[in-house]
Amino acid sequence: MIKDSGDVIVKTLARLLAPFIVAYALYVVMHGHHSPGGGFQGGVILAASFVLLAITHGVGMMRRKLSERVAEVLSSVGVLIYAGIGFLCIFLGGSYLDYGRLYRVFGGSEAEARSLGILGVEIGVALAVMAVMCTIFLAIYKVGEEDPRDGGRK
Amino acid sequence: MKLFFLVFGVGMCGLVLLCLYRVTWGPTVLNRAAGISAIGTKTLTILLLMGVIYDRVAMFIDISMVYALLNFIGSLVLAKYLEGTGDVSCQ
Repeated sequence: MIKDSGDVIVKTLARLLAPFIVAYALYVVMHGHHSPGGGFQGGVILAASFVLLAITHGVGMMRRKLSERVAEVLSSVGVLIYAGIGFLCIFLGGSYLDYGRLYRVFGGSEAEARSLGILGVEIGVALAVMAVMCTIFLAIYKVGEEDPRDGGRK
Repeated sequence: MKLFFLVFGVGMCGLVLLCLYRVTWGPTVLNRAAGISAIGTKTLTILLLMGVIYDRVAMFIDISMVYALLNFIGSLVLAKYLEGTGDVSCQ
């Protein structure tokens, strides 16, 4: 059972660190196409902030911020963004994920539309990965919760 | 100067092996936890040295920041797990 850790140092450190983790995750997602990182890595860092919240302030706090239901919906929304951009390119006359065609939606030149299209796809991937990682964490936690004989014990 | 960083990096790899010995044959769980933390810190340094050697420090700083973050969260989760079991003397 992961409860609220009563430790002041750990809780304060987590509270101070969490905004920087989220900002860094957004940086990794935004600069994914010309530096290491991208949607998956940014999503994992976003999920790490939730895991940090869960182990310092208890899983109840994490469930209040991101319940299982919201996580399921968010993972589907992430896949919808990815596939939606892909099919939008088909409807605009290109092939699947052919971002160049998106200049009719975003405006600007074809190169700018390509950059924005990749960014949109990566935001979708980051959302899906973040939600699935949190779902996995909560599911593992729930297994230990259901079996009171060895809650949290191997 | 690059040779200096290369030799330094190889030396750090040797130190990682020494920490790995403590992680593998550590008498108690606490020794293993300390060894894992030390390996994480050394890997961070090795990553930055690789960035210097390949002249791409800006890229490797991004990677090493994520590594430091995950190392911190990992040792915190390990401490939380040991707190849950309450048994730190097991082999």
